[in-house]
Amino acid sequence: MKRNVRLFAVVACALFAFMFMGAEKARKPAPPKGEPIKAKIGVISIITGQGAAYGEAITNGIKLARDEVNAKGEVLIDLKIEDSSGKQEQALAAAQKLINSEKVVAIIGPTLSNEMFAAGPEANASGVPIMGTSTTAKGIPQIGKFVFRNALPESQAIPAAVGQAVKKYNIKKVALLYGNDDAFTKSGFDTMKEVAEKLKLDIVTIQTFQKGQADYKAQLTKIASLKPDAVFCSALYNEGGVILAQARKMGLKVPFVGGNGFNSPQVIEIAKEAAEGLIVATPWFGEKSDPQVKAFVSKYEKAYGKKPDQFAAQAYDAFYIMTNALRAAGAADRAKLRDSLAATKNFQGVLGKFSFDAERDVVMAPNVLIVKGGKFTIFN
Amino acid sequence: MEWLNPYHLQVGSFVLINAILGVSIYVTLSTGQLSLGNAGFMSVGAYAAALLSTQHQVPIPAGILAGSLLAGAAGVLVGIPSLRLSGVYLAIATLGFGEVLRAILINWESLTGGAVGIAAIPQMGRVILAWASDRGFSPGSLGLQNNQFISLTVFLILLLCTILTVAFFLRLSRSRVGRAYAAIRLDERAAEAAGIPITYYKVLAFSQGALLSGFAGALFAHSTSFVSPGDFTYHRAVEILVFAVFGGSEHIFGPVFGAAFLTVVPEALRSISDYRYILYGLLLVLMMVFRPQGVIDPALLRRFRRSGKGTPA
Amino acid sequence: MFLEQLINGITLGSIYAIVALGYTLVFGVLGIINMAHGEIFMFGAFVGMLIMSKAGAPLPVAFLGAIVITAAMGLLLERLALRPLRGRPGASHLASLISTIGVSILLENVAHKIFGAGNHLFETPFAEISFKIGPVTVYLVQVVILLISLLLMAGLALWLSRTRAGKALRATAENLETAGLLGVDTNRMITATVVIASAMGGVAGVLVGMAFNYINNQIGLSMGLKGLAIIIFGGMGSVYGAMAGGLILGLSETFVVAYGSSGYRDAIAFVAIIVILLIKPQGLFGQTTAEARR
Repeated sequence: MKRNVRLFAVVACALFAFMFMGAEKARKPAPPKGEPIKAKIGVISIITGQGAAYGEAITNGIKLARDEVNAKGEVLIDLKIEDSSGKQEQALAAAQKLINSEKVVAIIGPTLSNEMFAAGPEANASGVPIMGTSTTAKGIPQIGKFVFRNALPESQAIPAAVGQAVKKYNIKKVALLYGNDDAFTKSGFDTMKEVAEKLKLDIVTIQTFQKGQADYKAQLTKIASLKPDAVFCSALYNEGGVILAQARKMGLKVPFVGGNGFNSPQVIEIAKEAAEGLIVATPWFGEKSDPQVKAFVSKYEKAYGKKPDQFAAQAYDAFYIMTNALRAAGAADRAKLRDSLAATKNFQGVLGKFSFDAERDVVMAPNVLIVKGGKFTIFN
Repeated sequence: MEWLNPYHLQVGSFVLINAILGVSIYVTLSTGQLSLGNAGFMSVGAYAAALLSTQHQVPIPAGILAGSLLAGAAGVLVGIPSLRLSGVYLAIATLGFGEVLRAILINWESLTGGAVGIAAIPQMGRVILAWASDRGFSPGSLGLQNNQFISLTVFLILLLCTILTVAFFLRLSRSRVGRAYAAIRLDERAAEAAGIPITYYKVLAFSQGALLSGFAGALFAHSTSFVSPGDFTYHRAVEILVFAVFGGSEHIFGPVFGAAFLTVVPEALRSISDYRYILYGLLLVLMMVFRPQGVIDPALLRRFRRSGKGTPA
Repeated sequence: MFLEQLINGITLGSIYAIVALGYTLVFGVLGIINMAHGEIFMFGAFVGMLIMSKAGAPLPVAFLGAIVITAAMGLLLERLALRPLRGRPGASHLASLISTIGVSILLENVAHKIFGAGNHLFETPFAEISFKIGPVTVYLVQVVILLISLLLMAGLALWLSRTRAGKALRATAENLETAGLLGVDTNRMITATVVIASAMGGVAGVLVGMAFNYINNQIGLSMGLKGLAIIIFGGMGSVYGAMAGGLILGLSETFVVAYGSSGYRDAIAFVAIIVILLIKPQGLFGQTTAEARR
């Protein structure tokens, strides 16, 4: 028994050493100037579990914005980041904790629409503004008047991409492929199907896959055998990149039209040259010559060693929208913040011009992009 | 009433729902059957209650009752053929049942909404608050904020449900049925030879477990106001099992304690949330190595009772 | 399309079979299900990826590295999470199940800490090499995977039936106490089993990387569940059952997508085990004694 205990101790120490090797280096916040508005803002994000890749981008984007905003000294934000693991009961508990124990003035997050459906009503009932940065499902802002989002819903992004692709490539026959166990990709698919039917396209097959799947050969072999003019694929980049790589390898060379979640530099990193010809509509375009975008991309790359994706960009903008509203409200007050947040008009962020409509939903023009020569370029 | 923190009540509510889930697997285990299908039965209860209240405007209590009964009925259906199986086979067959059920929830989009799930399920506390406000009641008269009142009512309802559940099964364990369960667990053949109708009792225990899971699922739906197939995965099934085996599966307080501990600790460890599941895994291994019968066993309870009574001179 | 799907199915099936073999070996000897097997397999895939894609070493080195690391993990698993539970009075018969679940959660999250949650490219030098047989395109990778799996299965079957160590292993599986009385060092046999099973998981991990080109820290769970279903289907503890079950599952998953609905692909494994358990509870190749033991 004694030997066991000792072995355990050794292994546990080794494990911890491993874990902390990857721990993030703490950055020093800059000293404040003048009389800043001090406020606590809560973040609910996926730090552990399956969706952690998205949560990581989101928290990185927010932390970067926090450092910049705090350095300016007009507002001084204390971030309280809580993990939801992508589960709605944990998102709900995290929201309760932020609202009641941490007494935050507002919440950014949670990551998934599912989580927002649980956490949103609670924040709304407690009168705490909550803003999703990646919650694109139908009905999110309709939860209540304290619920916002700056994530471009699929119902705006996909018709733009599909419309332009159909016109350019004279598409008649399409195959649809989507992740059916995820709310994000499922609702993206619903929009794709709707748009395809509206444009009177011939849908030759509808195929599904599940999150984290590694092998898509069976679905792709079937799609290839039906010879569609294009594939509409609602996937997140993690699965999407692999799908593209496997599709191209087996000779399926037709254009792919993706949803919002497909737009990430990671797709090109994962799929390499197989990503060529992928068309997406997205609020985020990292190659823009806009100086604000360039500055963001270089700062993000310097801090985290990779290019920001749209999850990072949306979170970054969300933090600015939130703190701008806070400054306009003049005090760390939940109700005042809600009103000034709802009044946000023509905010110029890295995503472009942004406003809330009367229902606290997104007003912005998506970019339609295509992967060409190893990077996203404007599609026309 | 500052101290009444809705966050703590929320965690408390999850503890109570998980406690019912823990009891659900304990009941099946008490006849020596291991079910990993409780996540599946939970989804039956949750979806039934959610659909009844959102699409057919059935009152919440009736929906919860219907959901539990449906899950119980599913338990009978699965339980009878599963009687031929035992041990690890039963565990994996029931796990398979849960996975098949989840595939149905994902694919039967017209009914279940697929992966998007069902949102805007009436939440018990908010419904009660709305009902009470219509009759001129204001939580302020109790010195409570609205959200405190909502969380408190949910907590109290769940507390009542949990106490009733535990009390019922505590009594059951001392009854004829409970003794039959224990006999079957100890030695199935001997029990049969002694004239105990083991088929009947095994199916009974299995469907009681299923019914309880469905009950917990229905309560879950009406306290988080959202359900989706992602809530009822393999991870949930394993989690429920862990409640019973960590806490102890020899006494009903075992799974209740397991559920409480394993809900509160990860919540308290939020600040080191990056490492939460790593610690969770380590904890499971250490428990099994150093106290495999679970934290709570009858011997420990006896010791508690003795010291509680004190030693009269 | 039929022939191409057939090849897809056989490739997938032979990988499933190797994963399932790991489970079945451990179950056959110890009578427990090693829930951490999937995660050990996942680590094998990552080690292979690091050696090939990051260090640029050739394929055999990747296999060797994966085998060494996963075998070491198997050894640690046996020493830390299984041996302490063995022969303890009053231990719940689920203890080993739970403790291996603990290990699997631990490993999944350690992998997440080290490698992140995203997909990693698994580069094989000959990934693009293919040749045409009539109308069908066959990739060299697929042939290599099939060959390695067949070699591994044949080697295992031979080892079990012909060598002294294999016979001792089977004796241990038959009856732990009797084997011990007959002079078999049962503790050593058990350790050997877990180590060999884990090393096979490592090989399977590299094969998966080669087949799909991408790996992430979740493949352990998804492949692990499939492996579990296969050993029930093929018969617990039966080596041939695991092989046949793996192939059948790989083929039926592929063909359900090809000719049915891809949404139910992941459910097939479990529908199959429910059906088989109701018709022939000991599984396709199982012996009745295997069931009676537990």
